[in-house]
Amino acid sequence: MTATSSTGERRPAVAGGAPARARRPRQNFETWSWFFMRVSGLVLVFLALVHFALTHIINDVVETDAAFVAERWDNPLWRLFDWSLLALALLHGLNGVRWSIDDYVRSPAWRAGVKAVVYTGSGILFAYGTFTIVTFA
Amino acid sequence: MTATGSAPRVNPVYRGRSGQWAFVGHRVSGMLVFLFLLLHIVDVSLINISTELYDEVHALYGNVVLRLFEVGLLFALLFHSFNGIRIVMVDVFPGAVRRERRLLSAVVFLTLAAGIPGGYVIMKPFIDGTLLG
Repeated sequence: MTATSSTGERRPAVAGGAPARARRPRQNFETWSWFFMRVSGLVLVFLALVHFALTHIINDVVETDAAFVAERWDNPLWRLFDWSLLALALLHGLNGVRWSIDDYVRSPAWRAGVKAVVYTGSGILFAYGTFTIVTFA
Repeated sequence: MTATGSAPRVNPVYRGRSGQWAFVGHRVSGMLVFLFLLLHIVDVSLINISTELYDEVHALYGNVVLRLFEVGLLFALLFHSFNGIRIVMVDVFPGAVRRERRLLSAVVFLTLAAGIPGGYVIMKPFIDGTLLG
């Protein structure tokens, strides 16, 4: 059940009566991080499963050699597909790793150190992967 | 001894049952896929150094050990995908959380239903014996 407030926003109706003019809470970084995980996750279900089906089920993995990649990347739309998969999967995975670090690495110094290593490594690999997809001829 | 001094030591353990197992499975499968992604960026990028080097390294993915690894990757991807959809459903539909266990059963069923035939296709060259010949 939802109620519509005077500002037109929908919010859950609370038994006992919520304040009539309850404001929508401010959206901080973690709200957007939660939202990004849901949206990128749903897109990735499609991108990752299509990619896996093409390279492991429809074609055998040994057939996906350099000639196979060259033929596929002849079409810029496949480059866009692969780059989208790279970018979304890496960001989605990185955010998941960030949540895990916050859960399990309790010491502030270690937490900062582990994050620095993970962010730097992922950043370098993202740049390297992007370079590969864009410059391959 | 005072009452406060003899307070029993409590060691709280969260027992979330099916939802907690789904959480553990989601973390573990997500971490495995992420680690594979990092490796995969490196192996694909070899193609820009030399196509021969790419082919040489890439041929390794055809051996039995790495094929089993690919079957594992498929199961991790499928579980993470279906369980991710379950998480979105629980967030979006108020009724979904009441059917949480049934939803998790569906996740496990779909993972097995897609993973077993997919795994068979990946292992088929080995099963047929063409991999060794």
